[in-house]
Amino acid sequence: MLSILQAEWYKLRKSKILFIIFVGPLIGLFLGLTSNLSIDVAINEWYLSLFSMNLTYALLFLPLITGILASIICRYEHQAGGWKQLLALPVTRGKVFIAKYVILMLIVLAIQLLYLGAVYVVGMIKGITDPFPLEIVWKSIFGGWVATFPLVALQLWMSILFKSFAAPFTVNVIFTLPSILAVNSERFGPYYPWAQPFSMMYIGGNTDDIFFVPWDQLLTVVGGSFVLFFLGGYLYFQRKSV
Amino acid sequence: MIKKLLSSDFLKIKRKGFWFLTFLGPFGVVALQMVNYGVRKDYLLQQSDNDWDYYLLNVSTFTPLALVLGIVILTSFMASLENETNAWKQLISLPVSKMSVYLSKFTVLAFLLLISSFILMLFTLAYGVFLDLGEEISYFELFKFSFYPYFAGLPILALQLWIATVSQNQGIPITIGILGVIFTYSAFILPDWMIWKWPSLINEWNEPIINVLLGIGVGCLLYIVGMFDFTRRDVK
Repeated sequence: MLSILQAEWYKLRKSKILFIIFVGPLIGLFLGLTSNLSIDVAINEWYLSLFSMNLTYALLFLPLITGILASIICRYEHQAGGWKQLLALPVTRGKVFIAKYVILMLIVLAIQLLYLGAVYVVGMIKGITDPFPLEIVWKSIFGGWVATFPLVALQLWMSILFKSFAAPFTVNVIFTLPSILAVNSERFGPYYPWAQPFSMMYIGGNTDDIFFVPWDQLLTVVGGSFVLFFLGGYLYFQRKSV
Repeated sequence: MIKKLLSSDFLKIKRKGFWFLTFLGPFGVVALQMVNYGVRKDYLLQQSDNDWDYYLLNVSTFTPLALVLGIVILTSFMASLENETNAWKQLISLPVSKMSVYLSKFTVLAFLLLISSFILMLFTLAYGVFLDLGEEISYFELFKFSFYPYFAGLPILALQLWIATVSQNQGIPITIGILGVIFTYSAFILPDWMIWKWPSLINEWNEPIINVLLGIGVGCLLYIVGMFDFTRRDVK
């Protein structure tokens, strides 16, 4: 298993992945430095900064970038019979699928951590003197990460299914755009998997639980869609003809 | 020559989902308003005196996003048609100039997007009539919100087509496309010179036609730059 992970990482390293990983924090910097949200109520200034940065980042960027990452991790295999070569090795399809998924989740985690760095840099540049709300920020960063679990699973499935980059990206866009409306709705927002990165990074949520959304919502919506998409992709890959 | 290239390009995009996407974009934009108005029609109708203008404004909040995403998807799709089967080599070895190959790709995409804008106008009108928003339909506003973003978005089309055709790894153009989408989404804070702001028709003079003219001018410029870069590169 470890060697499959190594092989996947090695293939990725040669795929301009670093450029794509660093787009995340760059977006964060852009969003943070251009926002000029201000209210009269005295609250921790980090909250204001986080509030405006998380909105676009979690609503559009995070769901969309997972699709690109998933397509890139399948890129070598789609070129010139790569699936045949990979699966002719003494590996099982299940392990290949899991290895690709694990690598993807680690990269998303890296993007989240770099985004955390961007949040901090924005605060430094703006000269925020309030104490850094470490607990809130961790919740937001990890919550966003957990919320991408089902999205990455679906995108990996779609990327194995389609040869071109554009097709899985289209699927991603079709599901991501409506979340702009969904997050405004009390009724549909909590049940829409693509709106979850936003809900789980939204710092105004309930702070009693470990994450910003209640456990039952996390387990049913994020957990449920994760099981559905992961199993779908896993089973499809088992039966895919290469 | 260009006529034959065009017909071959239209043949290539057959049954690949291009036409479906052309239809899906405008449909999606109006469908989001169907949901919006379906859920809270009474509230939305109270928001302004002129229901038609308010409705058009609602539709037009998603048009730039859908347009930019559509451009990213279509350009990358167009490039992968040739990339996937290493067909650039075969295409270029035909007795055609590289410039006309590029021109033909651009024309096909520009045509598809124009059709999209037209469909958007039809859908917007149809759903507006269905909602029964009053007798006075502002046809000029309808035209403006349907076609102006298209012309203002031409520089993005030229830029994305350029990046997509010269990239081996389609992850690059799509990632840059996502950056563009984020810029488009935050259009109201961008400075006026950024091309991603233009499809939203906002500028400091409050004259959408400026964005259209800028779009056509800079679009031509970026197209020419992209075309010359494409002709200079080796075909792999």
